[in-house]
Amino acid sequence: MPSPPLLALEDLSKRYRPGGAPVLDQLRLELRAGEYVAIMGESGSGKSTLLNIIAGLDRPDSGRVLCAGTVLTALDDDAVTRWRRASVGFVFQAFHVLPYLTVLQNVALPLDLLGVRAARRELRARQLLEASGLGALATRYPRELSGGELQRIAIARALVHRPQLVLADEPTGNLDAGTAERILALLREQLRANAAAAILITHSRTAARSADRILRLEAGRLHALAAQSDT
Amino acid sequence: MSAPGGARGAWAAWRTLTRAQLREQPLRVLATVFAIALGVALGTSVYLVNGAALSEFDLAARRLVGDSDIIVRGSADGFDETLFPALARLAGVSAASPMLELEVALPARHASLKVVGLDPFRAAALQPALMAQIGNDARALFAHDAIILSRTAAEQLQLRRGDLLPIVVGGDLATLRVIDTLSGDAYPEALGLMDIAAAQWTLGRLGRLNRIDLRLRPGTDAQALRTELARSLPAGVVALTPAMERGRAANATRAYRVNINMLALVALLTGAFLVFSTQSLSVLRRRTALGLLRSLGVTRRELRHALLGEGLAMGAAGSMLGVLLGALSASLVLHYLGTDLGNRQLAGMGAALVLRPGPIIVSLLLGTGIAALGAWLPALEAARRAPALALKSADAEPVMSQLPAGRPALALLATAAMLAWLPPLGGVPLAGYLAIAALLAGSILLVPALLRSVIGALPRTGSVELDTAVAQLQGGTGVATVGLASIIVSFSLMVAMAIMVHSFRQSFDRWLIRLLPADIELRISTGSDTGAFTADQQRRLAALPGVARADFRRVTQLRLRPDRPPVALIARDVANAGAADTLPLVSDARASVPSGAQPAFVSEALQDLYGYRSGATLVIPLGGALRPFYVAGVWRDYVHPGGAVVIARSAYVAATGDRSASEASFWRRPQAGLGALESAIRASLGLGDSLDIIASPQLRERSLMLFDRAFALTYALEAIAVVIGLVGVAVAASSTALARRAQFGMLRHLGMLRRQVLAMLAGEGVIMSALAVVYGLLLGAVVSLILVYVINRQSFGWSIDLAVPWRRLGALSAVLIAASAFTALWSGRAAMSQEAIRAVREDW
Amino acid sequence: MRTSPPPAARLALALCTLCPALGGFAAQEQRAGDSALPAVVPGYTLQFPRDFGSHPQFGIEWWYLTGWLTTARQQQLGFQVTFFRIRSRLDASNPSAFAPHQLLIAHCAISDPQRGRLWQDQRIRRAGFGLAEAQSTDTKVWIDDWRLERSDDAYSAQVTAADFALSLSLASTQPPMLNGQAGYSRKGPDTASASYYYSQPQLRVSGSIVRAGRSDTVSGVAWLDHEWSSEYLDRNAAGWDWVGLNLDDGSALMAFRIRGRQGQSLWAGGTLRGALGDVQTFGPAQVLFTPGRRWRSPRTAVSYPVTWSLRLGEREFELSPLLDDQENDARQSSGAIYWEGAVRVQERARGVGRGYLELTGYDHPLSLR
Repeated sequence: MPSPPLLALEDLSKRYRPGGAPVLDQLRLELRAGEYVAIMGESGSGKSTLLNIIAGLDRPDSGRVLCAGTVLTALDDDAVTRWRRASVGFVFQAFHVLPYLTVLQNVALPLDLLGVRAARRELRARQLLEASGLGALATRYPRELSGGELQRIAIARALVHRPQLVLADEPTGNLDAGTAERILALLREQLRANAAAAILITHSRTAARSADRILRLEAGRLHALAAQSDT
Repeated sequence: MSAPGGARGAWAAWRTLTRAQLREQPLRVLATVFAIALGVALGTSVYLVNGAALSEFDLAARRLVGDSDIIVRGSADGFDETLFPALARLAGVSAASPMLELEVALPARHASLKVVGLDPFRAAALQPALMAQIGNDARALFAHDAIILSRTAAEQLQLRRGDLLPIVVGGDLATLRVIDTLSGDAYPEALGLMDIAAAQWTLGRLGRLNRIDLRLRPGTDAQALRTELARSLPAGVVALTPAMERGRAANATRAYRVNINMLALVALLTGAFLVFSTQSLSVLRRRTALGLLRSLGVTRRELRHALLGEGLAMGAAGSMLGVLLGALSASLVLHYLGTDLGNRQLAGMGAALVLRPGPIIVSLLLGTGIAALGAWLPALEAARRAPALALKSADAEPVMSQLPAGRPALALLATAAMLAWLPPLGGVPLAGYLAIAALLAGSILLVPALLRSVIGALPRTGSVELDTAVAQLQGGTGVATVGLASIIVSFSLMVAMAIMVHSFRQSFDRWLIRLLPADIELRISTGSDTGAFTADQQRRLAALPGVARADFRRVTQLRLRPDRPPVALIARDVANAGAADTLPLVSDARASVPSGAQPAFVSEALQDLYGYRSGATLVIPLGGALRPFYVAGVWRDYVHPGGAVVIARSAYVAATGDRSASEASFWRRPQAGLGALESAIRASLGLGDSLDIIASPQLRERSLMLFDRAFALTYALEAIAVVIGLVGVAVAASSTALARRAQFGMLRHLGMLRRQVLAMLAGEGVIMSALAVVYGLLLGAVVSLILVYVINRQSFGWSIDLAVPWRRLGALSAVLIAASAFTALWSGRAAMSQEAIRAVREDW
Repeated sequence: MRTSPPPAARLALALCTLCPALGGFAAQEQRAGDSALPAVVPGYTLQFPRDFGSHPQFGIEWWYLTGWLTTARQQQLGFQVTFFRIRSRLDASNPSAFAPHQLLIAHCAISDPQRGRLWQDQRIRRAGFGLAEAQSTDTKVWIDDWRLERSDDAYSAQVTAADFALSLSLASTQPPMLNGQAGYSRKGPDTASASYYYSQPQLRVSGSIVRAGRSDTVSGVAWLDHEWSSEYLDRNAAGWDWVGLNLDDGSALMAFRIRGRQGQSLWAGGTLRGALGDVQTFGPAQVLFTPGRRWRSPRTAVSYPVTWSLRLGEREFELSPLLDDQENDARQSSGAIYWEGAVRVQERARGVGRGYLELTGYDHPLSLR
């Protein structure tokens, strides 16, 4: 791999309480551009904490997060936020789709925050919605939609501004198996289509299998798992 | 940290959030906007009405000051007219206008009319705007009984050209002839104009003037001339600048105006607390949305700005609405009530509402700024909140509970305590008002801690609804506190005002009883300069068969300092030893007046304004000479904010030779009937019905009625504070109810009856408002102490004894508790009207 | 009340121009026929200097100074300085020192061709306190710092107005000229309608004037009228025309006529004194005023005849104004508009002198009620 990694985590450590057991312990990870990694682990193993630290929503006790050579952990909150705004997309378990915005407005929200003009914003958001199979729902409000539809919206929103990195935290946790499968397929397809790297956090092996590579978070460190092991 | 990016993010976030607020809670936003509008409207309309009154006042003063550079004034009794040619011949003086300015007693009207006797030829150079209209009437004005009325005077007296105007001069009736009326432009207030010679002769002031206006030659140093005049003018005659002369009117009412404006500000502050609680609750409710925005890349600052922007938007909308409402109500007030706002000192008519951009902009800025202030803390808090936590929706403690409670609160309270002792600033008790603000802020900060300990101690009752309510409150004291802030503020202010007004009224009443010990009070007309009983009439009155005792008083005005309002001089039969019986003394009379010294009793205002204490020497210009008096005591006076001094009538007569009296009190003999005595007095004076004879109880009643009128506006302001407070209660209740939709749904799922949920809500409402009421009562009582002992004293210069209107406070408390129970119920119903299932689902 | 002809032009002018209300006031008292006002009767011998002074018991009195001035820059100007005294008997018993028993009025104007209109100002005061007085012993009348005073056969006039000032010394070169019958001047058919009237023509003027802050030394020739009376203008009169002319040969000419409502002459009179002191007196039949060119005021739209032919006995004079616009507009204070200005005199197309012309009642008939 000649090119530098998109994301590098260097010796991340984090404890919830001083003197308590470390949640992350000298954790290391490298992620190439366009690479799709799944991280699995038990409940409370620190998956979400890791994700928050990567996104700059939380701070490690020690260690560094680098993105394309920039040390994110050295930036102040505003700078990290700006980076997040431009370079990161989020997908949450609870969808977090704003109920008072239309589907289209929800998808376009990151572009709005980036100051993209309304016409271009709408064009791009519609494109994503069409790709997600939601073109017909653009003017509807979230309360009228199903969980699967809401998560499709969230995925569209996560990719609308062409981020380098998508962080997905249990995106299928609230969905039935069939819907989950279709959502993961969509996510993978959209990641490809938009050339985005992604970290998927899940405790579902099925879900993890959609990734290029599967890691397991255990005792504060990541351990590689065969990409295609037992089903 | 590029600014454009920041502004863009904040703008997008603001749009998103505002859209959410308006879509989700239009009524609540509306209520908040309306509350701010009320405060702004109140402030604006008070300002505008006041401004109209003041500009009318000022216009009147300017018309009479005209182009004068120096105004030489004496007391109403004035000075010898030879001062006029002496001043007219001064090197620096280019024009001099001799004047006699008197309050002329109007019989049967219980009033007086300000009459200015002047030389129209000389006044034309100094008061051109006033004289422009009578230039051609000079000849008619020369008649000894001719008077020209200003339009306001003509309207008030209902007189037209050619009508007769009876007046009282000395103890006799005289008649003036209205030869013309001026237009409203010439002079906006009530005024009569006479020729100086006619005024001197007809009003019994031959050889006397009491005002000379001077115009100086270009290049003459007015200040130097005033200094020179101060040395050479007779005792009691002062040389004023036009600004002093014009300021006199404004000064007389400044304290009153400041008080009203401060009340309006209090309404606005209540609005600010309302914004605060609305925003705190909505930040709390929207925590996940805010967290999402943060994770999507909205920086802290942008989020803070967006939330502040929400407050600003509500403030701006409310302020604009408020300015409109204020202008509207001001024009209604001016149209239907006139400018006096229930205050006799501001009496006037026909003032026009002038909308100037300055005050309107100030109102807008004030309302918007105060709303932003209310939104500041919640915005700060929301921006500080970790977005990861918010998205997990774990904690939901609102702003109040995270305020630093202990030390800042105590520091604020200590500041309040210190401020309360500071003297007034330029006659305005600013420190007192700041003390109240600090006290309120400090007390509000203490609320969460107090609430936690109080609610924690609440016993269980065994009733599911009540116990659930208490449990709910225990779990969420923070939320509860936020709801309470605005109601505590407005209720405590309401309590404080009620206590202050009640105390004032009680003290005033007791004072009246003390001051009116006789059976009958007799006066020709209050405050007039011309009506007086001659020595002969006094002898006859005292000798009437039904009269056991008669006291005569001579009331006139003095000038102790050019830059201060005139001081009332009351010459009455007051024996030093018996002073305490006839005067409401606040300090003990000095038993021993040094031999040869004349005693004087100064009012509290005189003591405060000039610093005279018991035992000091007070020098009074009397009869053209300065005469020393020994201050033998301080008395309470609710009539003359500019100060009053009581001296023995014998001393007054000895100094001035003036044996006339303007007021009298009569004690009847046991067998004499009141009616018979009244008739006897009338018959003795031969003034017919024109005499103001009134039994003391009636006079007291009349005075109290005037008192209540003067405070009518205060009551109105209180009512508005209540309304704003109730809006606060409603907003808090519906906010919490909406925020707890999921909880209601869950309770309904668990099998709680709809009725039970509502009972639980009502129980919460009652408990919370009861706590608010108790706290508000305590806080209000403390604020009332500042109002009574600091603000009132510094504004008006008189003391008040504290008295608590228990019944009114009880009623207010009951109304408040009922209202908040009702709003809790109402908003609970509204919240539950949505499907329980959906409520659960939407708690994301 | 009485229907009698000629008035004293200036007398009515005083009342109507400066204080019409006062004029009406005085007229009212006249109608009341109060005997306290002394009558003007023929046969009284004027005694100087006593009669230079004020006669406060009479209803009205004035000192009327008019003349031509030449500045050091050879600019020709006209000027007038007038003091009126009016006795009021309303509330005569008012003991107040301010009681307006005597009113003093002063008017001052400068005719300035360069300015194209008058510089003018006026004052009215009640007499008293030494601030405004008219003394009885000799000419000495003042209102604050405006004064006219006679001493050592010379008058001094001092006026300080807002935008101009005047300080003149006027030396007598001839004895007083008694008008009418040795100073008894008939004003109408009724003998009671008359005044005591003398003139001081050919006064030699020196002094200075200030216009808008600019001072000029001036010299010239002036005319003073002093007249007092208790009764005057005919009620049918609409106005009057008056001239006082200093002729270059040292003679002096005064003429007036009262106009009726149809413009006809109701009464007229005149005096012509030769340089050697020979006096000719003219009656109504011998004085003929004939109007010439008219000038219309752009401000008031009133039209005045500003050139005149004046026939006095056998002699015929042509009058032409220093400038057309010498209109006195006193509507702001009194309501009257009149023309009073400097005129040149020609006789047989030859300049023979300079003087003042007064034209009243051209806007509407003057009312003395």
